[in-house]
Amino acid sequence: MKLEQSRRDFIKNSAVAATAAAAGISTTASATNLITSSKDTDIHWDKAPCRFCGTGCSVLVGTKDNKVVATQGDPEAPVNRGLNCIKGYFLSKIMYGKDRLDTPLLRMKDGKFDKNGEFAPITWDQAFDIMADKWKAALKDTRNSDEMPPVGMFGSGQWTIMEGYAASKLYKAGFRSNHIDPNARHCMASAVGGFMRTFGIDEPMGCYDDFEHSDAFVLWGSNMAEMHPILWSRITDRVLSNDHVKVAVLSTFKHRSFELADNSIIFTPQSDLAIGNFICNYLIQNNAVNKEFIKKHTHFRLGVTDIGYGLRPEHPLEQKAKNSGKGGSKEIDFDGFAKFVSEYTVEKTEEISGVPAKNLIELAKLYADPKRKVMSLWTMGMNQHTRGVWMNNIVYNIHLLTGKISEPGNGPFSLTGQPSACGTAREVGTFSHRLPADMVVKKKKHRDYAEKIWKLPEGTVPGKVGYHAVLQNRMLKDGKLNAYWVMCNNNMQAAPNMNEEGLPGYRNPDNFIVVSDPYPTVTAQAADLVLPTAMWVEKEGGYGNAERRTQLWFQQVEPHGEARSDLWQLMEFSKRFKTEEVWSDALLAKAPQYRGKTLFEVLFKNGQVDKFPMSEFKGRMNQESEDFGFYVHKGLFEEYATFGRGKAHDLAPFDMYHEARGLRWPVVDGKETLWRFREGYDPYVKSGEEVSFYGKKDGKAWIFALPYEPPAESPDEEYDLWLSTGRVLEHWHTGTMTRRVPELYRAFPDAVIFMHPEDAKERGLRRGMEAKILSRRGEVRSRIETRGRNRPPKGLVFMPFFDAKQLVNKLTLDATDPLSKETDYKKCAVKIVKV
Amino acid sequence: MKKLITFLVPLLFTCLVSASETGGLNSLRTDDLSIQAPAEAMKKVHESDSLLKRDFIQQPPMIPHDIRGYDINKNVNSCLRCHSWKNASKWGATRISVTHFYDRDGKQLADVAPGRYFCVQCHVPQADAKPLLENMFEPVDSLKKQQ
Amino acid sequence: MSREPFYKRYWQLLTKPAAKISLGIILAFGFVAGIVFWGGFNTGMEATNQEEFCIGCHEMKNNVYEEYKSTIHYNNRSGVRAICSDCHVPKDWTAKMIRKIQASKEVWGKITGKIDTREKFLSHRREMADREWARMKANDSQECRNCHNFEFMDFSEQSGRAARIHQKALQGDDKTPATGETCIDCHKGIAHQLPEMDGVEGWH
Repeated sequence: MKLEQSRRDFIKNSAVAATAAAAGISTTASATNLITSSKDTDIHWDKAPCRFCGTGCSVLVGTKDNKVVATQGDPEAPVNRGLNCIKGYFLSKIMYGKDRLDTPLLRMKDGKFDKNGEFAPITWDQAFDIMADKWKAALKDTRNSDEMPPVGMFGSGQWTIMEGYAASKLYKAGFRSNHIDPNARHCMASAVGGFMRTFGIDEPMGCYDDFEHSDAFVLWGSNMAEMHPILWSRITDRVLSNDHVKVAVLSTFKHRSFELADNSIIFTPQSDLAIGNFICNYLIQNNAVNKEFIKKHTHFRLGVTDIGYGLRPEHPLEQKAKNSGKGGSKEIDFDGFAKFVSEYTVEKTEEISGVPAKNLIELAKLYADPKRKVMSLWTMGMNQHTRGVWMNNIVYNIHLLTGKISEPGNGPFSLTGQPSACGTAREVGTFSHRLPADMVVKKKKHRDYAEKIWKLPEGTVPGKVGYHAVLQNRMLKDGKLNAYWVMCNNNMQAAPNMNEEGLPGYRNPDNFIVVSDPYPTVTAQAADLVLPTAMWVEKEGGYGNAERRTQLWFQQVEPHGEARSDLWQLMEFSKRFKTEEVWSDALLAKAPQYRGKTLFEVLFKNGQVDKFPMSEFKGRMNQESEDFGFYVHKGLFEEYATFGRGKAHDLAPFDMYHEARGLRWPVVDGKETLWRFREGYDPYVKSGEEVSFYGKKDGKAWIFALPYEPPAESPDEEYDLWLSTGRVLEHWHTGTMTRRVPELYRAFPDAVIFMHPEDAKERGLRRGMEAKILSRRGEVRSRIETRGRNRPPKGLVFMPFFDAKQLVNKLTLDATDPLSKETDYKKCAVKIVKV
Repeated sequence: MKKLITFLVPLLFTCLVSASETGGLNSLRTDDLSIQAPAEAMKKVHESDSLLKRDFIQQPPMIPHDIRGYDINKNVNSCLRCHSWKNASKWGATRISVTHFYDRDGKQLADVAPGRYFCVQCHVPQADAKPLLENMFEPVDSLKKQQ
Repeated sequence: MSREPFYKRYWQLLTKPAAKISLGIILAFGFVAGIVFWGGFNTGMEATNQEEFCIGCHEMKNNVYEEYKSTIHYNNRSGVRAICSDCHVPKDWTAKMIRKIQASKEVWGKITGKIDTREKFLSHRREMADREWARMKANDSQECRNCHNFEFMDFSEQSGRAARIHQKALQGDDKTPATGETCIDCHKGIAHQLPEMDGVEGWH
C-alpha cells in the first residue's frame, strides 16, 4: 500500500521535475514550453534491487515503451534511502550495450557442431537439442552406478533466488549431480566456513542498523569506500557526525577507505592472522575478556594445523602438508587458549606484520574498551585468503571474548560482493556441498528432508560433495567433467590460473561447454554454445543481501531479442529429459509413478511449484509464467521457503516481498529479525537465555585457537613482488555490464598496475609506461600507475580484474583455503619488466 | 631448466589451442584468449568548461575536469572548495544539489549531509576515450533535446 | 739554514707591521680569501637547497616528500620539476638569508624530535602550513611566480575554467576589479596533502 502511494507521489514529482528540466532547454514553438501531454511525460516507476553488489540498495526503475529510461535511488529503501553509487545510478544503461546477444550461438563447421568451428546463430530448439544430446551422453555411463555423472554447472550469486533454487533442484535431484557451484565460491565461501565453524549457522547476526549504533569500525581487508559505497556513506555519516567514533583500516596497501581512517594499518600479506591473535592475547593480558559471557556462551577449540593450500594433490605443498584439507578441532579450556595466543606478543606481531606496535595496541584498545561498541567488517581481503576460514574464526574470537556481538552496534559483519550471494548461493544452497537452509548433502537426514519436500524417492540426492569452483576447472581439464553449463557469470575471466586450468579445461575436446549470458564475455568466447540471456528487470526475481534482507522485483520490460531468463532456460531444458534417461533403475523402482515423466514434470509441475495460477500475479508482465502457464516465481519461492520456515530461516509469504522494501529473515509472524542470537531481538532465543548461538546444539559458539601459517606463494629473488588483485568503484567484477556503459567506461577505462613510484623507478618504469607483469603461470601487459586511488607499499602491486583485454587471472595461483575452497586472489608472486 | 619450462609451456599451449580459439566471437576483447596484445595507451582526463550531458533527471553530473591531487579526507574536502553553496558562484562552479542537504532520515541540514561527504562515490571524472561499444539506451524525449 | 715553522712565519707576517708587504699583496690576499669564503658560503647555501639535503631526514622524506611524489610538481608532462627549495626558499638574497636563519629553528626541531613520527608530524601540520602560507601570501607568492609568471601566461592554452579564474583574480573583468588574490590563496595543497582546513579563508 505504502509502495503504491509513494510510487504515485514519485511519478507526480518526477513528472514535474522532468517538465521543469525540459522547460529550460526546450526549443518548441508551442504556447507553453511545458510538455503537457501526460502520454509524453508518463514514466512507469517500480522498485527493484540494484543488479550489482551485495549491499542490496533498492532503486526505482522508470520504464516507457518497453524500455528502461531512467533509474534512481529508492527514497523509501532502508538500505540506501534514495542514494546510489556511481554504478547504481547507471543501472538504466546496463541492458543496452550494442552487442546484446539475441539468438543462441553454436560453434559449427559445415552446418554441424564442431568444437573448433565458428559461432553461428541457431534456434532455441536446436540449442536444447544439442545440449540434451551431450548431457544424455554424459549421463549414460554412470546412470546405474554410485558415481555422480560428469555433468556440472557453474552458477552465480547473481542468479535470482528462484533461478538458483531451480538450478540446484535440477542438478541435485534431476541429474543427481552435486557438481554445481556458484561463483560465490570465489567470493564468500570462507565467510560461510567461518560462520558454520564458529556458530553452526550461516550469515551475520547483525544488520546494517549497526552502522548507526557503533563507536568504532574496523575494516579487516575491505575497501568499502569503493566496493560498498552506500554502506561506506552510512559509516561516513556516523563518523563525521560523532567525534568519538573511530575507524581502523587494515590492508596490504593504501586505498580510498584510508581517507576516513584514524588508525591506518598496512600489514604484510597473510599476517592478519598474527594481528588477530595478538588482539586476543592483548584482551586476555589486559583483563578485557568478558568472563561471564565466555563462560555462558562459548567453548574453546584447538584447530588442526598445517592444512595445505587447496592445490592439486600432487603439488609439493600439498604433499608436504601434514593435514591437507582438514578442518577438525578438539576441545580445550580458556587457559589453553590463553597460552596458545600468548606467543603473539606485540613484538612478535610487529615483526611478522610490519605494523608498528603503537598501531597494533591502538587497534586492540578499540576492542578492549568495554564502553566502545565495535563493528568488524570484511570482504575479499579476509575471504580470498588461504587461511580465510581461520581468519573469520579469529575475528569472531575477538568479538566472543569481549561479548561484543549480537547487539546494536556490536558485531562482526561479513560483507558480500554479489547481489544475492546470501539469498541465492548461501540460503538456497547452490554450493556443491549444500542444500537449502544451511543443510548439507553429506547428511542423510538433510537429504531425506529435501527429498520429502520435493516429493522425490529416498536416495535421489547424492550424498557426496560435488566439484567446487576451482575443482570444476581442474576436472574439465582432466576430462572428468564433460557437460558443463556456465550461467550468470564470467568465470574464464574471474577464475584463477586461467592458462593452466580454465582455458585448457573449456577447450578440452572431451567437453561441451554452454555459457548463458546477456553479453558475449571472455567465458562465452571459450564456450561451444552461447545462450542469450534476459537480465535484471527483463525478468521477475528476488535477491538476498548481506544483512539477510530478501527483496523481490517484477519484470519491467520484455527481454532483448530472443533472450530468455536463466530460469526459463533451466526449466525448459528439464523438459528434454525423461526420468529413465537420468535416474537409476533402482531409484525409479522406488517411484514408479515418475516413470515416463520428464524432469520438468517431476521437479516443476509437481503440484507445488505449479500451485499458483497466473491470477495471483500482480505485476505487469511475466515471460516465464506466461510460457509455463503458472506463476513460476511464486511457486518456486514458496516451495523453497518451506525448507527454512520453523528452522530459523523463516521467509515471509511471497506477496509481502512485492510490497515491502525487503525483509530480514527470520521473518516470524510478519516481523523481521534485526539481531540474531539475542533475547528480545531474535524470536528463536527463548526467554531467560539472554544469548543463544542456537546453530550449535548446546547454544554455545566456538572460539578457535589457530596459528599464523605462511601463504602458498611469496615473492622471491626472481618473482620479487606481491600481486593483489581486486575491483574498482566504477566497474563491477569482470566489467561485462559496467564497461558497456560509456560513462562508467570513461571513469576507469583500462586496468593498470598500481605500483610504488620507487618500485617503478628501480625497474626503469614510470607512470603510463607499458610493462609486462609475469608470474610462473602467465603474463599480462598493462600500464604503470604510480598515483591515484591505490598506493601500494614497496614490494606489492595491485591490479583490477575488470579488463577483458588484461586477463589478470592468467597470473594468479589457484591456491584456495583448504576448508572453504575459496581462491586466494590477493597473494601471488610476480615480476614486472619493461616491454 | 626453469627458464626453459617457462618458455616452452606457453609455446606448447599456443599449439594446443587452435586458431579458432574464440570461434570468431568478440567480447570486450578481440584477441584470442591465449594472446596478450600490447596494452592500451593510458587515457587523458577530459577537461572542458561545459557540463557533460545527462540522460535522466537523477543521473549524477560527471566531473568535467581532472581531480588529480584533490584531497577528500577527514581534513578537507577539496570539491566543496568550489562547489559548496557558499563558494560556487565565486568560482562559477556547479552548485551541489539540494538533495545533498538531507540526511538519511530526510531531515534537512544546514550543510552537506555527512553521508554525502565522499563526492567521488557518485561523481567521477571522464577519460577522453571513445566508448568500447555503442550503448543503445535512449533518454525520454524531453531530455533528448538537451544534446 | 734553519727555517722557522711555517705557522710561525705566518704569524709574524700577520702581527708584524706591514712595512715589508706591499698593499697589493694584502689586497690580493683579501680578494682570494673573499672568493674562498663567499664561494664556500654560497656552496653551503646551495647544498642546503638540494633535494637530497631536504629529504636527508626521514621527517621530510616520509611525509612531505612521499606526498609530493604524486603531484604535478614532481611528475608532469614536460618534466620541468620544482624541488623543495624552488617553492620554500626565496631567490632574493635578503629573503633567502632570513629564510635560512629561520630554518635553524627547523634544525632544532629535528634535534629535539618534534615531528619525528607520522602522528607528531600530522599534529603540527597545520601550524607549519599556516606559517608557509602566510609567508607566501606576504611575498605575493613570489616563489610560484618565479616560474609561473602571470605576464607570460597564455590563457588560451589553459583550460577554460583556469583561464577564467586566473583572469578574474589577477586582472578583473568588466564588472569587477582584480580580486588581488595571490597564487597561494587558491593553490594550497598543490604539492602536499592538506592539513585540517577548519577556519582557513575560502575553504568551506
